[in-house]
Amino acid sequence: MDVGFLQSLGIIAVSAALMVGLGRLIRMPAIVVYLLCGILLGPVTGWVEVGDGLSLVSEFGIALLLFLVGLELSLDKIKDVGKVAIYAGIGQVLFTAAGGYVLCWMLGFGAMEALFLATALTFSSTVVVVKLLDEKGELNSLYGRIAVGIFLVQDMVVILILTFLAGMGKGGNAAEVDIWVVVMGLVKAFGGMILLMVLSLLASKYLLPKPFKWAARSPEVLLVWAISWCFLMVFAAHEFGLSLEIGAFLAGMSLAQLPYNENLRRRVHPLMNLFIAVFFVMLGVKVDASGALTNWWPTLALSLFVLIGNPLIFMVIIGKMGYGRKTAFLTSVTVAQISEFSFIFAGMGVAMGLIGTDVLSITAMVGVITIAISSYMIIYNHPLYAWMLKAGWLKWKFLDGKPEITDRIVHAGEHLEGHVIVVGMNTLGRELVRRLVAKGEDVLAVDTDPAKLEGLPGKKLLGSVGYLTVLEEAGYARAKLIVSALQIEETNDLIAYRAKSVGVVCAIHVVDLSVVENLLDLETDYLMVSKVDGVKAQLAKLREMEVLR
Amino acid sequence: MNLFALLLVIAAVAYAFAKFFKLPSVPVLIGAGMLMSLVGLVPDELGIGKSEGSMNMLELGLVFLVFASGVEMNPRRFGKFNKAVLWVSGVQFFLALSAGFVFARWMGVETLEAIYVGGGLAASSTLVVLRHLQARKAMFEPYGRVVTGVLLVQDVALVLLIVMLSRVDGGGWDVGKGLLEVLLLGGVAWVAQRFVIPKLVFKFKPDEENLLLWLVAVLLGFVGVASWLQLPLIVGAFAGGFVFSAFPLNGLVRGQLSSLVDFFHAMFFVALGALVGVPEWELWAQAAVYSVVVILITPPLVALVAEWKGLSARAAIETGLLLAQTSEYSLLLGLSGVVLGHVSQEMFSVLALTTVMTMVMTPILGREEVANFLLPFHPLRKKSKPVETPKGHVLILGFGSAGMWTVKPLLAQGEEVVVVDDDAAVCRALAGKNIAFIRGDGAEVEVLEKAGARDAKLVIASMRRVGDALTVLRHVKGVPVLARVFEHQDAERIKAAGGIPIMNSEAAAETFMAWLEGSGKITNPES
Repeated sequence: MDVGFLQSLGIIAVSAALMVGLGRLIRMPAIVVYLLCGILLGPVTGWVEVGDGLSLVSEFGIALLLFLVGLELSLDKIKDVGKVAIYAGIGQVLFTAAGGYVLCWMLGFGAMEALFLATALTFSSTVVVVKLLDEKGELNSLYGRIAVGIFLVQDMVVILILTFLAGMGKGGNAAEVDIWVVVMGLVKAFGGMILLMVLSLLASKYLLPKPFKWAARSPEVLLVWAISWCFLMVFAAHEFGLSLEIGAFLAGMSLAQLPYNENLRRRVHPLMNLFIAVFFVMLGVKVDASGALTNWWPTLALSLFVLIGNPLIFMVIIGKMGYGRKTAFLTSVTVAQISEFSFIFAGMGVAMGLIGTDVLSITAMVGVITIAISSYMIIYNHPLYAWMLKAGWLKWKFLDGKPEITDRIVHAGEHLEGHVIVVGMNTLGRELVRRLVAKGEDVLAVDTDPAKLEGLPGKKLLGSVGYLTVLEEAGYARAKLIVSALQIEETNDLIAYRAKSVGVVCAIHVVDLSVVENLLDLETDYLMVSKVDGVKAQLAKLREMEVLR
Repeated sequence: MNLFALLLVIAAVAYAFAKFFKLPSVPVLIGAGMLMSLVGLVPDELGIGKSEGSMNMLELGLVFLVFASGVEMNPRRFGKFNKAVLWVSGVQFFLALSAGFVFARWMGVETLEAIYVGGGLAASSTLVVLRHLQARKAMFEPYGRVVTGVLLVQDVALVLLIVMLSRVDGGGWDVGKGLLEVLLLGGVAWVAQRFVIPKLVFKFKPDEENLLLWLVAVLLGFVGVASWLQLPLIVGAFAGGFVFSAFPLNGLVRGQLSSLVDFFHAMFFVALGALVGVPEWELWAQAAVYSVVVILITPPLVALVAEWKGLSARAAIETGLLLAQTSEYSLLLGLSGVVLGHVSQEMFSVLALTTVMTMVMTPILGREEVANFLLPFHPLRKKSKPVETPKGHVLILGFGSAGMWTVKPLLAQGEEVVVVDDDAAVCRALAGKNIAFIRGDGAEVEVLEKAGARDAKLVIASMRRVGDALTVLRHVKGVPVLARVFEHQDAERIKAAGGIPIMNSEAAAETFMAWLEGSGKITNPES
């Protein structure tokens, strides 16, 4: 067996875990830590090299991240931002490209180099922004949805440009463009995009609901089916010359209408987290800083252009389209970095002999700098907005009086407080839910099987409490009582442990007396010993039958 | 990437098939992979010893699957059955390995390869059996505890066997050195499990994303050390998993890990099937023979030792039947043999086919009816002394830990009570209290007859399984039978058979609500 891959992955994981621990001390976003970790392991020490396995893991990460975005954003949620996404996406590409070209020309680059650099500056990183918004839980906020819409439009622009470059390459000579290849590539890509969109819409309505309802009763089947659907769409996108991001996003979007999308998101999340961390580290590994260090001045100027110029252009476009100051600001902050596509684009230019390696090196360094700084800007976007507003830097007249829309999707337990969470909808769980609701309690029923939640009164949450996010979504720290009717020893122990760690009273079902000791060690407040209660009921029955007097 | 799209789509179809026909997923996934190769869908990049990205991904899958087994390596799960677990697993593993070895040699297999065959046949599948136990809600039953324990011990034994066989070319010294290194690695894992990782987790309180990163770092760290010691990678993965095996760490990581395991499980076994391909018919015949060996040897061996160590005859038989399949670890053993050149590709195919065949048989062999059918053939089954058959008595089937609550008031008002239980300790306690008892299984017709069930005034069936209460109801028509059940649907079955169900769940809900109201936690007392 080849251990090179596992060794590289091991070095990445151990280094990243250590650096994330250190990064937490100075509140450094994980993405920045991963990038720095990559730079340390690649350009600085040379301990990790780009290989097939690591590239594949990175691609998995991107696909799963965009699949999760699609799962979060159903068509209903993004159709209202379609117009602004198209206008702002295309507008920003044009203005940033024009501004970037002028800046590069002023910095002394030749026409072709300026064209490449300016184009590279126009792409923002879908992966970086989506990961950060996901961490913040703001993917489905208005600005989050606009940002995702814009990035998808930008992805189409990327495809257009890469297709054009591929046409140039086919001409055999960089100066020659094979128009036929370009036209066919574009027809295939845009035709494919339309076809996949129609297919995913039809699938979400007619093809997927019934089979997924059947699969949803078994968590592992649901997960494998969903991921298979994702990679099937990625494959289809690839065949049409589209990016894997688009395929994965459409796959997720077509499952977003199903009632199990939240459950699926939680199950896909660990996979995505593992793979996407490798992607960010590999981004750092690939950086060649030597050229950028020699050209530190243009690198700095272009980074500032992306960090400040790009958001400014956006503020204007989004503000002009009728959105309020805060929405315009928060959306604009998301585009203050360049994308991994920029590296690919510059790499193609080098391969075709159109630009020198210095330009690729500058692009990579601008990428690292802008991704690192914009990560901070996105994570602290609300305090940044408040600070800039106070400083008077956002007092632009055309933004005055525009309405702010701060809608968010509310999760099952988000506004609950002092409620009772009942986990496990077997007969005991269902009975408890009914009795508690009848007593006027605010009850949230939790189970992994949608069929078991059907017909119950009160609120319901589909998911496994093995995931902390499920308990968080259930608002477990604000609950007054957590009850588990489950007959699974390990999960019951975990619930007791979690409840105790946030100081919430908990009652656990004791399915066998052998588990009592552990639960008492965990200071469980009440043990539902159903067997003993059954014996008491049996004695009552014997009295009723007059066997006992 | 396209290869993985294909593997996942095939896995999705296989899962649907397995779910529909209620089969374990592992053999169906392997079978689907074989079919994939039959129709020529296996690309060149997929092959043992190849180092393309796809194979790297499968290696990652392999170490994750082994890591997950290590996380389950918690002796607390055995309950009070430590001795039974060690005896059953020790005797079964050694004798089944020997029998497999002898049989393979008899079939003309070379000595070293025959050891691989023996080892492969001796181990049972943790993935298949635990899922079966969970589906039957039998994890807490004595045989469920013993089976779980035996599986975990078998996993350790097979990991050690893999190490020994990987060093066998270097001679006895190298084998000994390998075992010492495993001991060292295990020691480090134990120290990390007891003193290092829990403290770090509670000090730094990582969120789920960071905890996952820690988990991967520990896993690949141990894999790295194993690789440095030139031990098989899976030894490192297993030791890494053991680091997270104690509560509450195992609970904290289980959710995160389950997604990864489900994903890699699907991909790995389909790919494995594709690697094996569709073997020649002679290999199918050999696999069928080995499957018969497993099914004929494991159940009696286990049943005898398990009963000797205190399980009832039926529980012992059920334990044996449930362990009658080869393991996913058998495939890893075979795979490691192929990589080392000890095992031919053909023999690996035979092991894979044997695994598919025996795993498919598990849901059938695991049925209660099969155990009941085999019960009369159990040679060590305790024959109770003939006693005078009672009449007009209250017959209690299954005493358990709460039986005295029922027996005491009945005796107090002068009822004749006869208890049937298969637990020796319970019977000793009953004898001490001068309460009439019969040691045996309350669902056995012979025992019921001896206990005068048909002439009883009342039968109280307190056995764990609803099926047992239904057996009693079929036998004692006309006698009132009380049966405690948990689920509504079980209560309906008891009612339909003429019994009187007592709902444990409803009683527990009633008591809980009384506690809740008494404790003042209800905020709406007026409602």
